[in-house]
Amino acid sequence: MHVRRLSLALAPALLAAAGCLHFDTLEEPVKIATHAQDWREAVIYQVLIDRFDDGDDGNNYLLDRENMARYHGGDWIGLENRLDYIQELGVNTLWISPVIKNIETDANVDGYHGYWAVDLTQPNAHFGNLDDLRSLVRAAHERDMLVVIDIVANHMGQLFFYDMNLNGVPDILLQGTGTRPQGTPVPPGFDQSGFTHITEYDPDFNPLGIQAFTSLGPAGPAPIVFPYDPKSGHVTPMPPIFQNPEIYNRRGRTFNYDDPQQLLTGDFPGGLKDVNTTRCDVKQAFVDSYARWIELTDADGFRIDTVKHVEREFWRYFTQRVRQRLAAQGKTQFFMFGEAFDGRDDLVGSFTKNDLPSDAELARENSCDDGPKLTGDQLDSAFYFPQHYQVFRDVFQDAASTDRIANLWANKTVNYGTVAPKDSAGIPPYKALVNFIDNHDVARFLYFARQRVDNDPAFAGKSLRDKELRLRAMLQNALLMLMTAEGVPCLYYGTELEYRGGNDPSNREDMWRPYPYLGESAAPPAFDTTGPTFVFTKKLIEYRKKLAALRRGDTKVVWSTTRTGDETDAGIFAFERAGGEAGNNYVLVVFNTNQNHDSRTQFDGATMTVSAPAGAVLVDVLGGNKKYTVGAGGVLDLTLPPVSGMLLVPQQDV
Amino acid sequence: MRRDLRPLLSLAVAFLGAAVSPAAAAQSPAAPPTTSQPTASTPPVTPAETEPAPEDSSAVGPEAPPDAVPATTAAPPPEAPPPTPVPEPKPTKPAAPHPHDPNSPPGLADGFHFGSYGRVIAGGDSTGRAGRNGDIVARGSRLDEANYAELELRREDYWKSTGAYTRIVATTAFATPIFHYNGQFSAALAIRNLYLEVRNAGVKGLSFWAGSRMYRGDDIYLLDFWPLDNLNTIGGGVGYTFKTGTELKFHAGLNQPTDPYYRQTILRPPAYNQFGAAEVAILDRQKLVSSIKLSHVWPVGESGGVKGILYGELHYVPEGQREVESKVYESVPRDKGFVGGAQVGAFTGKRSTYVNLTARFASGLAAYGELNAPRQLRPDRLTTGAYELLVTLSGNWERGPFGLLMGSYYRQFRNASRSLDWDDLNEGIVIVRPQVWFAKIAGVAFEASYQAQQRGVATEDAPNLFKPVFAQMGRFGLIPFITPGGPGAFQRPHIRLIYLLTVRDAATRSFYPADDVFARRGVDHFIGVGAEWWFGSTSYFR
Repeated sequence: MHVRRLSLALAPALLAAAGCLHFDTLEEPVKIATHAQDWREAVIYQVLIDRFDDGDDGNNYLLDRENMARYHGGDWIGLENRLDYIQELGVNTLWISPVIKNIETDANVDGYHGYWAVDLTQPNAHFGNLDDLRSLVRAAHERDMLVVIDIVANHMGQLFFYDMNLNGVPDILLQGTGTRPQGTPVPPGFDQSGFTHITEYDPDFNPLGIQAFTSLGPAGPAPIVFPYDPKSGHVTPMPPIFQNPEIYNRRGRTFNYDDPQQLLTGDFPGGLKDVNTTRCDVKQAFVDSYARWIELTDADGFRIDTVKHVEREFWRYFTQRVRQRLAAQGKTQFFMFGEAFDGRDDLVGSFTKNDLPSDAELARENSCDDGPKLTGDQLDSAFYFPQHYQVFRDVFQDAASTDRIANLWANKTVNYGTVAPKDSAGIPPYKALVNFIDNHDVARFLYFARQRVDNDPAFAGKSLRDKELRLRAMLQNALLMLMTAEGVPCLYYGTELEYRGGNDPSNREDMWRPYPYLGESAAPPAFDTTGPTFVFTKKLIEYRKKLAALRRGDTKVVWSTTRTGDETDAGIFAFERAGGEAGNNYVLVVFNTNQNHDSRTQFDGATMTVSAPAGAVLVDVLGGNKKYTVGAGGVLDLTLPPVSGMLLVPQQDV
Repeated sequence: MRRDLRPLLSLAVAFLGAAVSPAAAAQSPAAPPTTSQPTASTPPVTPAETEPAPEDSSAVGPEAPPDAVPATTAAPPPEAPPPTPVPEPKPTKPAAPHPHDPNSPPGLADGFHFGSYGRVIAGGDSTGRAGRNGDIVARGSRLDEANYAELELRREDYWKSTGAYTRIVATTAFATPIFHYNGQFSAALAIRNLYLEVRNAGVKGLSFWAGSRMYRGDDIYLLDFWPLDNLNTIGGGVGYTFKTGTELKFHAGLNQPTDPYYRQTILRPPAYNQFGAAEVAILDRQKLVSSIKLSHVWPVGESGGVKGILYGELHYVPEGQREVESKVYESVPRDKGFVGGAQVGAFTGKRSTYVNLTARFASGLAAYGELNAPRQLRPDRLTTGAYELLVTLSGNWERGPFGLLMGSYYRQFRNASRSLDWDDLNEGIVIVRPQVWFAKIAGVAFEASYQAQQRGVATEDAPNLFKPVFAQMGRFGLIPFITPGGPGAFQRPHIRLIYLLTVRDAATRSFYPADDVFARRGVDHFIGVGAEWWFGSTSYFR
């Protein structure tokens, strides 16, 4: 004992003599606090960490920057190093890739995106360590920026395979001679087998659970095998509950998303193992695991992946327990928005509603723990996928009729929650939907817009530059919609630099390797802040910050049309943002989404009327501050060139 | 002016011995012994990690063990604490060394010589597992070091017409494993020295050399460590010994460690429509390493002295380019690094008693060591910001049948990347080896070391409160030996038995991979038998 004391005394003395190793953020506990006030003030910037910037060579492991499906080296320090750039753009909220340890690689694809969890307790070392993550969050907060962490609760990574042929190794099975198409009846007199292709990591859904078989026939439920291969990151899942085969649904890959059973209990394509999220222990594990990351970092919200693949009861439990746990430590206004990759508005909205189950069901759900009684509260908001399809794709890319925008928005109060969940961010979900043009799961706006322009007869024979300038106009019109529509705008990194990649993973380009700007042939410097779309986006965000109506005003559509042809108002869409919590602030936004001709806010003798009083002078702050005077009765007849927009602000507010 | 430093040295050694022993003894959170093998990689330490040599201490040289003969007339090792100011090598055939003192420098210009260093050990842990280095610090106890041997062939000539003399040195080195261990008829063989040195080249005291050379100064025997200067390059140097005994050395050399940082080859079609593919070096840059060293010895008393050294290095790689995908190139920037260091030592000139204190700071490219490629760079691919700070203290004291050998260092290493990570560390060790000789031919040594290390990894000390992991380890060895050459800490050869007890704390165990036996054992026992020798090699004199 005496010797031990001497040892303990000597050790610190030895280090103190020459200085200790010191982490910037780890040696003081993080005091979590509320940094958000009103999430409608937020302009989210979605960052795929691996692709944003490589700030730390120390975490570069097995990079392959020429392959879009492999790690490229971006990290949290890289993002922190670029906060000046982000702040210059004007966004004030960072949505970062999942932070937890992933399967390293599977089928020659890496877990660079972060959605292949293997250990919910450890950071993804490719992105940095906890010190780096804390440093990022702290640096963001010092700039009045918020940080949203991406999480997944539907599935884990490719943790195990189904040993369907009972040989103990993961196979890709090719069975049968293939002389008879699979599923077709055996012709009389023939006995050839069909051709079957099965991968034991990702077999098709079977409601009975994945079954084993041998050459002699069925052999019962297929055992699942957790391979142990540290090199590929197939290691012991953590926390320990995820080592228990019983917590997985083990039914194989979802292929029919309209089948509720497949949707909720099937593995996510790619061999991502579906977790039984109706189990109490699973619910608690996810709450503990993910709330801990907020407690460790003081981040401000969750973007939640694949919510439609998880039961409502899970979301009730998860969202309420997370809010309660964080609020007890001083963090309120915690924002959780979910991703349902689906165009059905009612489905997407259903996760934001107060969804109170039957008393019996609620009692069962409440039996999980002794916490406050669960209510019907779910998510604070949703990723507004229906708008992505019906507005940004159909109208702003494909010039479909603008009435679909009005119709979609008109259903917000029907399809989305209208009451803020208790202890939540405090805003009714329908007023805080997260608007986006594109994201990491869909092709970038410019990718399909280019196809549209290339196929447009009006552009036949036009130069590449002419086409690309049209593309820019289309993108900037979409950006005007993004930054002025009610809700929380979310900008996918690179959009401001006119990135134009196709579907995943082509849409996950490196920020340090920009494209040439549209109409040009040489690429600008990385993180350039002088490009036309960067400047345009920055300007929009400045107006959004300046004009309360754009953040908190109610929405009133004052013109939409079913017409898309030669009609005078084809492509016109106009809405006002005013009232609500915006005081007297007023903004009118007008678009011409028609791609062929000028259009005006007038058709067949009817002219657009607005709420601004007669005689009011509105200034188009995006159009050289050109002034327009509201006529008697609020009439305002505007003519817009094809693919253009106006942001009209009362003269006194400019 | 002359002072007897022996009391001071004794005091220093006694203090260090007292400070270390209890600390080392404190490590014993017992853990159940298990089985398995692993590796806790250690980052580069100033001498290249792959560089396996060991060897003598600064006290070796003309200063002889009690019953050895006096030094020959050959140039005494400037790195060693010589008993007198450095004498000139005499351009005549020197007196033959004492037949019983194979470690004394051989005479010059007397033809072919053979020298060697070697250590061979057979041993394992108490469960029969193969032994392996159990230290957590980069340079720790060498009792469980792997086998290694150098065979040196040397030609010495005196050229009467010019008054110069020359030395051609060829040293081959063998690393483990050995055929009799694994049955593989092969060897890990390296050519280390391969150089020609000319002394009194036109001007008395002026020397030149060129070739491949282990170029280094004083070591810490117990740690197998040359803390101030240890370079391995192919190049050349010039030295001049002033009449005052002050010596100035300059050297410049090249190397190209096998690493994509230095060299990238690509397959290209051969010229003139020839078949096949030719390998073309797209990136092919070498590292220039140059050093300058100024040393002087001030005599104290009859045989003692104080030695001072100022030392510096420059490391430089030119810019280049490499192919990142077919016909797409990226440039790699030039980079550089510097070393500044100093050593002060004192010796009694009797029985190898000495003490050396060194301090060394390496920055940028030089911080990564001389045979390493830098890792974990800044975003601009430079090593700026990387550094290594090293402070060492070592010494030896002998009186009567007793001796006390010690070594210690503290080291900080930070790579160039901003974030702290596994390779960023602070570490230190204090190691002492008291020994007693009896019957002139035998002895027993005890060795105790305390080592501690912090790496750039943290553990959750309390909820939401993290601290750098602080690992501590103690090692205790018992080494009975036979010393045919008689007593003396640096007297070799030895045949010895080794028992080494290792005590690891939980933090130390956490540094090893899962299921590594070192990750599971709090206490370990190593038992071995081995031999160590050195004689007549330029590794011990220059």
